[in-house]
This record gives sequence, structure tokens and C-alpha cells, in this order.
Amino acid sequence: MNVSLKRMNAIFQKDLKDFSRNWAVSSVILMPIILGALFGRTGVQDLSSHYLLINLAMAMVAMFVQCCLIAEEKEKNTLRGLMLSPASSTEIIGGKSLLSLIFTIIVIYVTAMLADYRPANFGVVAAAIILSTLFYISLGTILGLFSKSVMEASLVVMPVIMVFSVGSFITNFVDSYPILKVALYLPNIQLIELATKVEAGGGFGDVLVELAIITGWVVASFIVTVYLYRRKMVD
Amino acid sequence: MNNIIEVSGLAKVFGNEKALESVDFHVKRGEIFGFLGPSGSGKTSTIKILTGQLTPTSGKATVFDESVSQMKKSEFRRRFGVLTDNSGLYGRLSIQDNLKLYCELYDVPVSKIDEVLDVVNLREDKSKRVSTLSKGMMQRVTLARALLHEPELLFLDEPTSALDPMNSLHIHEGLRALNAKGTTIFLTTHDMQEADALCDRIAFLNQGSIQLLDKPDKLKKRYSDSTITVELLNEEKVVLPAGAEGAQQLFDYMNNNQVVTIHSNEPTLGQIFVKVTGRKLA
Repeated sequence: MNVSLKRMNAIFQKDLKDFSRNWAVSSVILMPIILGALFGRTGVQDLSSHYLLINLAMAMVAMFVQCCLIAEEKEKNTLRGLMLSPASSTEIIGGKSLLSLIFTIIVIYVTAMLADYRPANFGVVAAAIILSTLFYISLGTILGLFSKSVMEASLVVMPVIMVFSVGSFITNFVDSYPILKVALYLPNIQLIELATKVEAGGGFGDVLVELAIITGWVVASFIVTVYLYRRKMVD
Repeated sequence: MNNIIEVSGLAKVFGNEKALESVDFHVKRGEIFGFLGPSGSGKTSTIKILTGQLTPTSGKATVFDESVSQMKKSEFRRRFGVLTDNSGLYGRLSIQDNLKLYCELYDVPVSKIDEVLDVVNLREDKSKRVSTLSKGMMQRVTLARALLHEPELLFLDEPTSALDPMNSLHIHEGLRALNAKGTTIFLTTHDMQEADALCDRIAFLNQGSIQLLDKPDKLKKRYSDSTITVELLNEEKVVLPAGAEGAQQLFDYMNNNQVVTIHSNEPTLGQIFVKVTGRKLA
């Protein structure tokens, strides 16, 4: 399968220009940065607070922004135009995900710096965050493909953002409600598990299980995304 | 391969509603084929099936000698262009930026943008944001986008429905020029004059099936009532039969220098449509 980087870049450049003029959506990227600055000033230094911010950044930037970008393409019938062009599914989904990916990485980096979070092993944490970001982008794409409009997308995405950003608090109730143990396998919780091991001196070899679980989520969400996208190509 | 599109027994059912019921036609390479019918007659469904956006319920349809299911492939999407009434544009971007994206998607040089904007009379406006354009201007931008890669086959769904007569004529000229370069055009329209002016052959679609298919001139002759209207100096209009009896009367009027104009009474395509289907094109 040939993938044209030129086509992906063309979609990315278009999205970048469009996004910079779309304040209703682009302004959300400021929220994690502002919170990061507040956390940094107030001296909140525990790991769960840092990952509350990081998961929020991924949910808001990777998932929310991606969901709105896709939903707007659907609402304005521009997605069909892309689908009818020679660009392949990979080029379109890839091109449309680049903006969310790049902005998420930048926002997480800036937020972490402002919140004064310096991981003990940057490489491991960076790999896990990039993997998690891919999952959130994929989930945003799925929700966007399900929504008929940006308005609907922004409503649909909210409960999902809640689960994946502040959902880590669920772990506090696992002892009382064993059924909630399932939530321990969510990628946001796995990311915190991984970060905890890293802070305790763990390297790649010590976090393989967490990385594998996050990768599993990424693969599963990719499969659903491609399946849904192909279904949307036909009325 | 003389036929670029071949359709036989094509049917599409949505729930309990039949959108298309055993449709048969072919489109020859290089022709402008008009597909006429009222709203809800199945025109857009046909375009969607032919471009791989809709799966037919039954029947056979081929484009470029390949099943329409293949039209989802990049290699075929490069060969056709589509303009439908809901083709979207990016409102926050300029006309130029919208077209630039498609230049890169189709591997067309950006210099082509000015050329297609000339066809739709929008070159002067290329820096304008799409959200500030009128509906007619937006329609012209989507048409320009469909023309960018000079497709072998162009599907146009009501291309001039929101345009004033001047711009419609300008676009007709552009379409004729594109057709002269070899692009086959599949055109759906309500506008009978447009169909008459542009199409080599037309098909009347009604209630999901084709009622008539022929050259516009042949259809008009076939449904002509074989009379002529003579306008006389005294402003009287006289309808004469086209046979010997009418010829004698016409000769008499002419001999007496009473004739101002003579018109053959061919029906318009719209009148033929109403006659055949009992429905108006709306």
C-alpha cells in the first residue's frame, strides 16, 4: 500500500489553517496549559495530579479536537469530498490526525513543564504518552464519525472526556465495588501505573505489561476507526 | 470501449421505498448525457451508485468497464469528478486554499487554479473566504474543484441551479470546452433549456425508471404536433398544419406579403416530459 505524504501534508496544512481560524475549538487547547500553570504555582507535585493534567490534555486536545474536526467535515459534507478524491483511507485519516497529534504533544510538554513534572525516565514516559495520544485521537475520530454535527460531537464527547480525564479517581472505589476493577485496564489508568513504576526507577522492561495494554487499546480503536470510516464512505 | 457507463436492470430500494426500478442506459465516451427528472426521481441515487457512494440493491452498473464497486479505489477516483448539490467547501478558507488542497490531492499543479476559476468566472475573487460567498458563487467554486483534474468522466448534479443566466451561460461554455477536450459529462438538471443546449442525448427519469431516452432534436420531432405558427402583419398568429394544405395557406400569406415570422411548433423538452410522465419537473 502506497501512502502519499504529500496528500497527508496537504490535509494537515488545510486543517492547520482552518483550525487557527476556528476559535470555538482551538481555544480548548489553552485549558490544560492554564491548569498546568496553576498547578505549578500552587506547588502540587504528586503524580496523580500530574497525570490528571496529562490525561485531561489528551482528552481535550487529542480526543475533543479530533472529534470536532471530523464532525465538522461530516456536517459540512467536506469529508465526502475527501473520500471521493484519490486520497486513500490511510492518507485521509492520517492527515486529519496529524494536527491533533502534534498539538497534543506540544500541549502535554508545555503543561508538564509549567506543572514542574520531570519524569524519571523521559523516553519511557514519552513513548507511553505518544501511544496513549494515538488511542485518544482514534477515539475522537470514532466519536466524530458517529456525530452528525459539531454540536452533537461536543455533547457526545463530554462523558468520554470525564471517564478518561478524571476517571482515575475510580480506582479509589475498586475495593468497595469490585466490578470497577475493569476500569483498571483503561489506558489512562495504565498510564498512571506506568508512570508510578517509572518514578520508582523502572525502565522499559518493567512497564511492558502497561505498554502492551495501551497498545491493545490503540490497535482495537484503529480497527474500529477504519471499519467505521469505510462504512461512512458508502451511504 | 465505446461506452464509458453501462447500466442494466439497476434498482435501489431504501426500506420500503423504491428509488430506482430497473434502470437501463449507457453513456458513450465523449458525449454529454442529460439525466432529467423531478426531485425524488432517483437522479442523485444514480450518481451515487455510479461513483461508488451507494450500493445498488440489484442490477449491473459499470463505469470504465469496471463494476461500480471498484469506484472506491484511488485509481478510479482519479478518473472521475463529481459535483453534487451538497458538495462541501471549507468556509473559513479562501477559494484558492480550497482548490489548492484538491490540487495536491489530485497531483495537479497549483497553476491550474486560475484556469478553472476563469471557467467559473471567479478568478478575481480567489482570495475571498468561502463563508462570505453567495450560494451561486459557492456552487461555482465546487464546479471549479470538479474541473481541476480534467476528469475523463464528470458527474454534475444540478450544476447551475443557483446561478443567474449570465453565469450559467459562462459555465455552459466551459463545459462545452471541457467536453471538446474529451471529458464525458453526465448531467442531471431540472433546467430543460440547459439540457437542450448542452446534451447530446437525454434520458427522462420518472418514479425510478427511464421513460424516454434519445437526442433532444429527435424527441422534439417525435412529439411535434406537425404544425407551424405564422405571425402576420396584423399581429395575428395562425397555426397551420405542416402538410400540403398548410403549405398552400402559407404560400397565400407570403404571396400577399403578410408574413412576419414562421415558427415550427416543436414542443419543449419540459412539455414532452409532462406529456410522457404527467408530472412537472420540480
